[in-house]
Amino acid sequence: MLDLRDIVAKRAEFRLSIESLKINRGEMIAIVGNNGSGKSTFLSVLGGLLSYSGIYRINDSEFGELDKKDRHRLISLLPQEGSLSMPFDVFYVVLSGRFPLTDGRCYEEEDYLFTERVMKWLDVWHLRHREFVTLSGGEKQRVLLARALNRDAAILLLDEPLSGIDLRHQYETVEILKQLQRDRIILVVIHDISLALREFDRFLCFKDGRLLYDLSGDEIEAEHIGTVFDIKVNFLKHENGVFIYREE
Amino acid sequence: MFKRKWTGIIVGSMLLALTALLGVLKGSVSIDFSALTDTDKNILFYVRVPRVFLSGLVGAALSLSGVLFQYVMKNPLADSFTTGVSASAAMGAVVAIMTGLTGLVPLFAFVAGVIGLFAVYRISTVAGRVQPITMLLAGIVVSTFSSATISFMKYLSDDAVSSIVFWLMGGFQAATFGKDLVLLFALLLVWLLIRREYMALDIICFDDKTARASGVDVDRLRKVSFLVAALLTAFSVGYAGIIAFVGLIVPHVLRLVGFRKADELVPMSMVTGAVFMILNDLVSRTLLPEGQELPVGIITSSLGGGFFLYILVKRKKELHYFA
Repeated sequence: MLDLRDIVAKRAEFRLSIESLKINRGEMIAIVGNNGSGKSTFLSVLGGLLSYSGIYRINDSEFGELDKKDRHRLISLLPQEGSLSMPFDVFYVVLSGRFPLTDGRCYEEEDYLFTERVMKWLDVWHLRHREFVTLSGGEKQRVLLARALNRDAAILLLDEPLSGIDLRHQYETVEILKQLQRDRIILVVIHDISLALREFDRFLCFKDGRLLYDLSGDEIEAEHIGTVFDIKVNFLKHENGVFIYREE
Repeated sequence: MFKRKWTGIIVGSMLLALTALLGVLKGSVSIDFSALTDTDKNILFYVRVPRVFLSGLVGAALSLSGVLFQYVMKNPLADSFTTGVSASAAMGAVVAIMTGLTGLVPLFAFVAGVIGLFAVYRISTVAGRVQPITMLLAGIVVSTFSSATISFMKYLSDDAVSSIVFWLMGGFQAATFGKDLVLLFALLLVWLLIRREYMALDIICFDDKTARASGVDVDRLRKVSFLVAALLTAFSVGYAGIIAFVGLIVPHVLRLVGFRKADELVPMSMVTGAVFMILNDLVSRTLLPEGQELPVGIITSSLGGGFFLYILVKRKKELHYFA
């Protein structure tokens, strides 16, 4: 469904290059790597926020030739550390995620109904009357995630959606993503490697602006993680999953 | 939501009609409406009616431009005055007068206003965001330069002094139906353009990346909004001089009482701005005994100063959110 070849994108001094990458529908992929390794730049390219050279196709059509509105109907990108500068209530924040699905003039009844469903699903419905700027960091993050999911897009690009979220909601969010996975492509930038090892099928490991490894959950080993993060680590295998720890 | 918006607009329009009527009935000369003389009729139709219209239209235009500046700069303290646009537009107007091109006053005001706005925008943008405090400082810088230039020109030519003083203090003495019509046309044009962008305006209040990822053409919307806001300011300054803080006070109060989304805030700001300005003008015409007139800019500036103090003292925390 996603097909990338010889992609090069530049942002200030930084250069991202990807030789070849194919992603199919139904995959939930963890994107891992050091800070500044190119993860967010990669999502920006996929989301159409950054210009690139090379071939990027979605369902056999060239991404650059897609209508701009269609791109945003197809792809929902959650950027890192979203902020808001006006005192809107939480419901309106989530509702506005459906903007690309509207005619640009007003939200329809269906948008309101879908928003309510998504907010209940992500356990943020009780916050609906609060002003977004008064929420805690983790609450804001969950509201923005609800906003991103509210578009009901086929491709979800989530940049650190779990950062700042409490443990229970982290697990619940991952469960929700797994339910959405079946007919979608989900790419998630994640720093909790143990969680990623337990819950994700495939790993894209970035280092210095390059896609260093593209591995399935069965293939990935402690050495790979060690190389990606420049530290010595080991896996502790347990019946409930894999845990990672640093080797002295 | 729907209910609040329309209740607000209907109540606002009724208030607008009432204040406009009051503005026509009251003035420095008391008119006996049971026995109108020719002079009374002249006063009513050539002085008061165009003046009430102009004050209402300028109030609406300045409030709308304030709302747009706040959206584009993501900054609740932005308006035509704090962004330095008013002062630079006044400088343009003064240049037009001094060079004898009085017919081109709005054009000169517009060009100079856009230049001033661009300077403030560039100076106060840090990492893609306009910083509230830096913007205020940059606005002071641009306003100071503009005022210095105006003073310099005042020094060079004594003849035009009185009209230059008028630009600095603001007022509606020079109202005509012609000016009313031009401003009404500009205001309608801008409103028709902006009402198609209500949803997108709300979305550019998010950080740029989120707004772009939501499918809004942020750069285009920002440019369009900047230009039309500067246009409204230029016409207001060109016809009525510098009238400070209206675009700051009116939207802020409306947000406080719950009109926060663009589809409510924009129309409510225009209606409320008109009411506010007609009342200000009425006070400026009738406050002093014996028919002397107070420049309306003095009244809005003192209200604006007090309001700024209120924001600084009472709503510090809110500013912190936005900073």
